[in-house]
Amino acid sequence: MLADALLRTAGGATALLRVTGSNADTNMSEVGLVPTTFAEVAVSPALMRKLRPGWKEGDQSKWELLVSATSVEQQANALDLPSAQSLFAMTLAVTVAGQDYLIESIASNEAFGQAYLYRLLLREARQQAL
Amino acid sequence: MQNAKDSFYMALRSRLATINPQRTILLRGSVRPGILVEEAEAPFSQLPNDVFVLRWTGTAADTDLAATMVAEQCEVIYQTCGTQSFGGLDRGRALSEMDEELLAMLHPFYTLKLCYTATPPAAMMTHVFWDDPTFAPVVVQRDRLSRNVMMTVYSYQEQGE
Repeated sequence: MLADALLRTAGGATALLRVTGSNADTNMSEVGLVPTTFAEVAVSPALMRKLRPGWKEGDQSKWELLVSATSVEQQANALDLPSAQSLFAMTLAVTVAGQDYLIESIASNEAFGQAYLYRLLLREARQQAL
Repeated sequence: MQNAKDSFYMALRSRLATINPQRTILLRGSVRPGILVEEAEAPFSQLPNDVFVLRWTGTAADTDLAATMVAEQCEVIYQTCGTQSFGGLDRGRALSEMDEELLAMLHPFYTLKLCYTATPPAAMMTHVFWDDPTFAPVVVQRDRLSRNVMMTVYSYQEQGE
């Protein structure tokens, strides 16, 4: 709760996790023929902060998304998932303020054995064709 | 070209399901045989362990034939850290098991070319065939063993492709 309050005071943005829908697995979806259905799961409060900019050509900027564990747990429960990790494993991309990001790694901060904050290392996604 | 790539993947996938039904992966909410095409999935920050990842790298074509023959370079990548119950000490055995499974999956070295844009997939006139795999040396990254296997997949371009 304290983490939520701190995130709210520092900006309190909303991040959308684009998760795969519950469409049946088919041959066609495995070879990229059928568009998978997606659902957007909102988690908030969240805070984005830019990490050191990339210096290599073609290197995307990296960001860290700090997101409330309370919100993540709520969404995981709503989707009937066993853990927050399962939710992140289903996430294809994260959208914040209209910009898509890909998850590079996930870490959590814990107190008394309970996660209170998830830290997602994100990389800016390249523009996809329409 | 795409039909050949799809047919090759599907052949390996169905063979793997027979050879080792326990090798599976939970991907996009579905449990599937433990093989995937990298370019047809969400980008991985790190490749998953204990599954076969197909990566298409190069293409060449021979147009001096009655039908154009296309050669596609395929890289199969797999890695393992062993099993938890053995504390990872069986990682060498786990990699050998994957080597053997891949060899078994590749045999026989051909499959019918199918068009997966149709439902059910439509059989085409020719086969897709491939050469012997080239196993690269094992790469050791602390507790993880990984290997790349290269092969060339051949197919004839049919009318309408």
